[in-house]
Amino acid sequence: MQLPGFEYLEPRNLDEALDMLGEHGAEGAVLAGGTDLIVRMKQRLQTPRFLLSLKHLNELDYIREDTGCLLIGAATPLARIIDDANVRARLPAFHTAVSAIGARSIQHVRGTLGGNLCQDNRCRFYNQSAFFRSTRQACHKAGGTICYAREGSDRCRSTCQSDGAPALMALGAAVTLRGAGSERTIPVKELYTAVGDAPLSLHSSELLTEISIPLPGPGVGSAYRRLTFRAAIDYPLVSAAAYVRLGDGHIDEARIVVGAIGSGPLFLVTASNGLQGKQSTDEKALSAAAGMAGSSAGAFIVDNLNADMEYRTAMIPVLVSRALRGALAAAGA
Amino acid sequence: MEKVNLELKVNGETLTVAIFPNRTLLEVLRAEAGLTGAKEGCGEGACGHCTVLLDDQPVRACLTLAVEADGHDITTVEGLAAGETLDPLQEAFIEHGSVQCGFCTPGMLMSAKGLLLEDPQPDEQKIRRALSGNICRCTGYTKIVEAVADAAKK
Repeated sequence: MQLPGFEYLEPRNLDEALDMLGEHGAEGAVLAGGTDLIVRMKQRLQTPRFLLSLKHLNELDYIREDTGCLLIGAATPLARIIDDANVRARLPAFHTAVSAIGARSIQHVRGTLGGNLCQDNRCRFYNQSAFFRSTRQACHKAGGTICYAREGSDRCRSTCQSDGAPALMALGAAVTLRGAGSERTIPVKELYTAVGDAPLSLHSSELLTEISIPLPGPGVGSAYRRLTFRAAIDYPLVSAAAYVRLGDGHIDEARIVVGAIGSGPLFLVTASNGLQGKQSTDEKALSAAAGMAGSSAGAFIVDNLNADMEYRTAMIPVLVSRALRGALAAAGA
Repeated sequence: MEKVNLELKVNGETLTVAIFPNRTLLEVLRAEAGLTGAKEGCGEGACGHCTVLLDDQPVRACLTLAVEADGHDITTVEGLAAGETLDPLQEAFIEHGSVQCGFCTPGMLMSAKGLLLEDPQPDEQKIRRALSGNICRCTGYTKIVEAVADAAKK
């Protein structure tokens, strides 16, 4: 599969990159590791006129601790994040999520955290070759008016399959988006619009430059669990991230996020709040929260990934339960 | 689209080519350098058959633009042996019968080489993890994992 033509831009530093994005962003795409973008370009799902390479932007490759937060440059290779002592010891949900992305040979140089967060939504009716798609009408995501995943849907129902997103959302992380002369830091929650054909609130002139994760204190635990057929390469079919903060044997705060079900990661407020004040050993409360998460998230599911929809639906509470128990164990409950 | 000049160091030799920026590293290695060891399997990064080392780390050559590799050191499966002397990994693959149809072998060897360069004494779990991005439809993987473990001892 040959790639379509494009003009290759290689800014030498961040300022130059932001200027170029301001000028060409609307017709361009940002190339970090390329493991998502290059495939989509080969399939002609995306044919940007300009490709802006981040290869010289070493200033976006760092991990450092600052005022209680772990700051990670968006172009940091996943392998470096996996090997980081702070991530391993204090952010288990994030560590598990990042370890699960692609395979070791993708994590080394090419796969970046920014790329994982900014990957486009996926759907088995859309992420196909041009030949496959040429046999039928364009769907919402391809600029048409129909949806193959849910009959009669008035909008795109493609799925956000990022592993990093639900984990970072549960951990209360934030991202910094920079443009030429602009800079804003927003919670990861606000990066995702849950709109299938425009899943990110990132403007075309902006670049995601930094991810900031609050480093938890004692009594806090997190975990991430995912369902796939293969342990490597596969995108998750369902995933769940959980965060718990304990105080005196009971749960002070819980956050449950379900991924790979909706058009954005789903932060389940009711299920999360239901755990507040419960004992960490309260099996009934944990099961109730998992069940609640299953019915809340299940409402968003469509049959558009390579697994049976009923199976994926049934696995939501299972994964939430596993993530919650993992988080409690990590918190020392 | 304009051609750009590239200078890659492939298996220790300098390769200078003028190419369009939409060529992948795999296309350039196979068509320009004549190194057909790295294979195109899926072309989407799922199978790992195109794995080569970029500065000693395994990458998918089918997902890497050649322009992104400008100025870097590339090692392909052809660069493993020193003349007639095979790399210990290659020897071990032969000894253990780790090759059947052979299509995945160049990628397997390069992922394994990347691992041994990073960690010369990996345990089985590490070997399996390092090879997890490479798909083989024939061998069932066991003989490949054994070969890598054996090569690490040499």
